[in-house]
Amino acid sequence: MSEQEGPTLDFSTVIASTVHDMKNSLALLMQAYSASLAQLSPEMADTREHGIIEYESLRLNGMLVQMLGLYKLGVNQLPLRPTWLDIEDFLESQLARHDDILRARHIDGSYEVEVDGMMGYFDPELVGSVVANVINNSIRYARSAIHLEALMDGEQLCIAISDDGQGYPSQMIEKQSEYVLGIDMSTGSTGLGLYFGERIARLHQRNGIEGHIELTNESRLGGGEFRIWLP
Amino acid sequence: MIDYSKKRFLVVDDFSDFRSSVTGMLRQLAVQNVDTAANGDEALAQCRRNTYDIILHDYNLGPGKNGQQVLEELHHAKLLSPHCIFVMVTAESSQAMVMAALETEPDAYLTKPFTRASLQQRLDKLVERKNVLKPILDALAKSDYRSVARASADIMASHPRYAPQCQRYLADALGELGQHAELETLLSKLVDDRPMPWALVALAGHYRASGQLDKARALYQRGIELFPMLPALYDGLAAVAVAEGDTLKAQQYVEQGVKISPNALRRQAELGKLAQQNQDHDRAVRAFRQAVDLGRNSAFRDPENHLNLAASLTDQAGDGSLNPRALVEVRQTLGELDKTWRDDPALAVRSNLMQARTLTKAGKADDARRIAEQAAERISEMSTFFPADVALAVASQLRDLGQAERAGEILATCAEMYGDDPKVMEGIAGQTDDTAILNAGADAQKHNREGIRHYQQKHFAEASESFRKALASQPRNISFALNTAQALLRLLAGKRDPELKAECLRCLGQVRNMPSTDPRYERYQKLQRTVESL
Repeated sequence: MSEQEGPTLDFSTVIASTVHDMKNSLALLMQAYSASLAQLSPEMADTREHGIIEYESLRLNGMLVQMLGLYKLGVNQLPLRPTWLDIEDFLESQLARHDDILRARHIDGSYEVEVDGMMGYFDPELVGSVVANVINNSIRYARSAIHLEALMDGEQLCIAISDDGQGYPSQMIEKQSEYVLGIDMSTGSTGLGLYFGERIARLHQRNGIEGHIELTNESRLGGGEFRIWLP
Repeated sequence: MIDYSKKRFLVVDDFSDFRSSVTGMLRQLAVQNVDTAANGDEALAQCRRNTYDIILHDYNLGPGKNGQQVLEELHHAKLLSPHCIFVMVTAESSQAMVMAALETEPDAYLTKPFTRASLQQRLDKLVERKNVLKPILDALAKSDYRSVARASADIMASHPRYAPQCQRYLADALGELGQHAELETLLSKLVDDRPMPWALVALAGHYRASGQLDKARALYQRGIELFPMLPALYDGLAAVAVAEGDTLKAQQYVEQGVKISPNALRRQAELGKLAQQNQDHDRAVRAFRQAVDLGRNSAFRDPENHLNLAASLTDQAGDGSLNPRALVEVRQTLGELDKTWRDDPALAVRSNLMQARTLTKAGKADDARRIAEQAAERISEMSTFFPADVALAVASQLRDLGQAERAGEILATCAEMYGDDPKVMEGIAGQTDDTAILNAGADAQKHNREGIRHYQQKHFAEASESFRKALASQPRNISFALNTAQALLRLLAGKRDPELKAECLRCLGQVRNMPSTDPRYERYQKLQRTVESL
């Protein structure tokens, strides 16, 4: 048996640091793009190709965030910093992140909280990255509307994101527990997204109860609905 | 709509494209006043010149300071008004969060890439929040903690959505005001269910400070289960272990904190000191080396780390002789120390002594002797004496280097200045059995105790008499001088007597060479100011 010579590459560490650079690169790319877009006339800027560039770069960014998050979860380096915050602010900021793209696609983004001024206790960065990925996904399927909603389910906060698209494929709804546990990754990024969402939800726990996620087509807008419960 | 046209912005990023793109977004918000900086030092310089309403600061600035370091230095230099909004811009926030000390967190994190809409949404909310909190922030800017507490309670009631922020301001204010019982009640309520990290760490710290070590430890451990990536919890456990005298365990805890957040200067220095106490010289060398490295970029660089690195490198050799590589590193380290703190004669003395010790270890006795003599000579030129613990270490080094006479003088001065502290006298007794040094202060201390008794009974004339006697016998004793001055000041309050005032100033003058790190230094300055203003 021959010993391997020289230092070996820890591939996940390489990915993590490269993803970091990729994110920076993408941020610059997108900003340069918006700057050049600003110089075009409105009719020239509002083309299908521009929409694709914007949407796909947001998706790319979401995937990178998720990849880095999964890496950090794997090496136990993902910090949880929960705080009390106004949920309306949180939902509003999630929509604001996608403002350009929603406008470009003529999708109406709305949000609603069960009780005015309701407060939630969770990590806004981590839950925000899950919600952002779900919104990205919904944008692809929504016909004209996306709706965010927050309500209390007993002592747990539930945030739901629904659209008016055709809904999740039935097989995805049926097999969601397998995606969520990371058993079935056959759908690629969608499955991974569910796994990531579940892991982030589970980091949030209180008195032995962990958070969780759920997919359903019994949605407010008639399409798919993603729900995340935070205890 | 919030009017941004009058607000002054600072945008800090190492990429010029990014700076101009953010500036462009701000212009769309009608912002007229935008300054930019490409690195941390520029940002600090800008903040020294101008007062900003809003700072958008990139976390990862390449070589040099990162955003968190800049934020800490801004706090430390009091360049950041409580009204200023500091937003940390990151590619991903988890790294920045782990680095952030709980007491210096930014107002918000903003992840790249962001659009104009999301920037505006975040800024709107932050401005709105600071507007509502204004009464608290105004009071905070004046360090008026009573008003901070009052305003926090008011706003909590009128604007429940800002209760989380108000609770934090209230807790800080109660701490500053020394209202420990109220603080404990408030924090216990906050930590009971769904605790925020800062509240948990604050309550555990409160338990620790009030000697409830078991409760503190249990709470830190509960915190680690909830927030395993929060290094402050390990710092807390280490402090509990130190309080219990278990430095081995303390070192293990700090090592865990360092693993989570390796680039924190003070944590590395703490690890080095614990490793030193535990005779773990290899770990001490690594930690102090890191601390020295990190210090190059920081306003918090501390010469003690250089001295400790040199000491640990020497200790590492054990009973054997020092290897040439270690000798080179010691030379470089002390060279950097001498250059960086050129104007501090007390440090120069300590650097010389350390060098002499290293040279002895490397078998260069002649060089060592020469440098030790030089150090001994320099001591007499010092205008400020060492703190007690340093004085003891210096005396011991001098004796090891064959300067017994000089060592004796240091001990005598130390006994005179700090002799009312039994711990210091214990240290001195460990180094000498010279009764002239050990018993010199006995009578003076008796007088001092009498003086304190009189003072407490508000017999200020008798108190002054007793303190005077103590000070006459030990003219450089810091406590005696300050006590005398304080008692005389009481007499001066009754009648204006120029002679008394002059005597008071003379007393204070006798201890003007006390180190500014001494815990009594603030009291000294306050007395000086009060007497001068009479």
